[in-house]
Amino acid sequence: MEQLFEILSPHFLLKNTLYASLLVGLVCPQVGMFFMLRRMVLLGIALPQVSNAGIAFAFLLHSIGWHFLPHMESEKTMAMAGSIVFTLITIFTLSALERKGKGFTENRIGFTYAIAGAASILFVSWNPFGQSEVLSMLKGEILSVPDAYLWSMFAIYGIILIVLIGFHRNFILVSYDIDMATTIGKKVILWDVLLYLIIGIVISFGVMTVGALVIFGFLLIPAIAARMVARGIFLFCVVSSVIGVVAAFLGFYISYRFDLPTGPTDVALLCIILSLLFLGKMLIKTKKNSIIGN
Amino acid sequence: MHTKNCITLKDVTIGYHGNPILRDVNFSIKKGAFTVLVGPNGSGKTTMFKTILRLIPPVCGSVIYETGTHPKLGYVPQRMFLDEIYPFTAGEVVSMGTFGQIKPFCPISKPNRQLAEQCLKDVGLLEQKRQLFSQLSGGQKQRILIARALATEPEILLLDEPITGVDIFAQKMIMELISLLHKKHKLTVIMVTHEIHSIPQWVNELLWIHNNKLNLGSMAEMLSMFSEHKILFTV
Repeated sequence: MEQLFEILSPHFLLKNTLYASLLVGLVCPQVGMFFMLRRMVLLGIALPQVSNAGIAFAFLLHSIGWHFLPHMESEKTMAMAGSIVFTLITIFTLSALERKGKGFTENRIGFTYAIAGAASILFVSWNPFGQSEVLSMLKGEILSVPDAYLWSMFAIYGIILIVLIGFHRNFILVSYDIDMATTIGKKVILWDVLLYLIIGIVISFGVMTVGALVIFGFLLIPAIAARMVARGIFLFCVVSSVIGVVAAFLGFYISYRFDLPTGPTDVALLCIILSLLFLGKMLIKTKKNSIIGN
Repeated sequence: MHTKNCITLKDVTIGYHGNPILRDVNFSIKKGAFTVLVGPNGSGKTTMFKTILRLIPPVCGSVIYETGTHPKLGYVPQRMFLDEIYPFTAGEVVSMGTFGQIKPFCPISKPNRQLAEQCLKDVGLLEQKRQLFSQLSGGQKQRILIARALATEPEILLLDEPITGVDIFAQKMIMELISLLHKKHKLTVIMVTHEIHSIPQWVNELLWIHNNKLNLGSMAEMLSMFSEHKILFTV
């Protein structure tokens, strides 16, 4: 209990980390639900990996003298730029190939995942300096979120959340029924591009903050869990973010209380929530069936 | 039915990516008419339908709407093409029809909510409003999609295979509903089907795709043509 009050105190030393986690827990499920609904879950695994490759590539360039800002600022800016550029190029290429309708989506995503994974490791191993620093960033530096980074995260994730809420109906309609969207005059390509842009930015920023595994977890698990219990798309959106925020907070508390790594604790907790919801649903179904049987 | 044309296809070749499926298509559909587009699977019915809807451009020729601009189209897709992973309630699906009139960042207005409710009432499914769309029967889903199309307040109602894959009672119910809506709202209706036995006798025009040719005529004309081609047709 003492630790709980400590965490909630405004003077808490790791408050930035907590805020960043909560922000990820709130916003990522709103983006991740589109992965699930559009049946692009595999892309949710591949894109964080691509983002990793972008970060590793930027570090490689930096270490061989390609930097346009003073050393310390340049490092993170370049990593962010690398992450965003790699992620956006990949997502737009994959969606263009998808629209052409040639080949299999799963094959393309599998190929992307494999090449991004290999590239990340190769870029790190070619980096003559600071391999450990690069590796720690790839794992997600969730324990050290500087003020400036937190504020920029607030600004970007905040804008993204507002856009997702404000244009929710358009994103949902073009995802669900592209023909209907066209007949009522929606600009389908524009909304698709905007959605992909949002996905790319959320993943790039998230991977830099909490790492690929955690981003994947927060993108998909809350949405999958919410899908099991929510009746209606509005509730589905609310429940998925509630699950994300609760898991982020409890995960942080547990990791602080028991001295565990925060990211994996968050993901494990999300999996526990998903499993409990699944078991609860099964129990209710069995009970209902037995009542009908009697 | 009016004498004014509503949609005209002039020297149209339909197809995908420049590959023609049907050439030299010329016909007009009158305002307020009930037109049925029939043909076997793979004959190009859906391509023709999507060309009329301007979802795919014609390979050549032009699709002219009487209004000059894009009219309000109420589109009813084949329900199996809509993914059931989306946890929509029946009410939410119908509300989609009003999305064209709602500005971003604004909640659904009271008149739009009332319109969606009225459309649910029109198809006799107001009580199912809060049920998950994925849990409804095939016939109920089809009626919900018709309600969604009505919520767009359309001038033309276009239905793609609305009775495919539902049982005979649901087929009858859906056809009765469509004919009722056609009369009540004075809608121009274009319906695609390959189930010719279910076409009601009173439809104004039949478009029949046969051997890569489009034949247009009244029900009586088409009946004789069907019998010439030994097509089983019962009404």
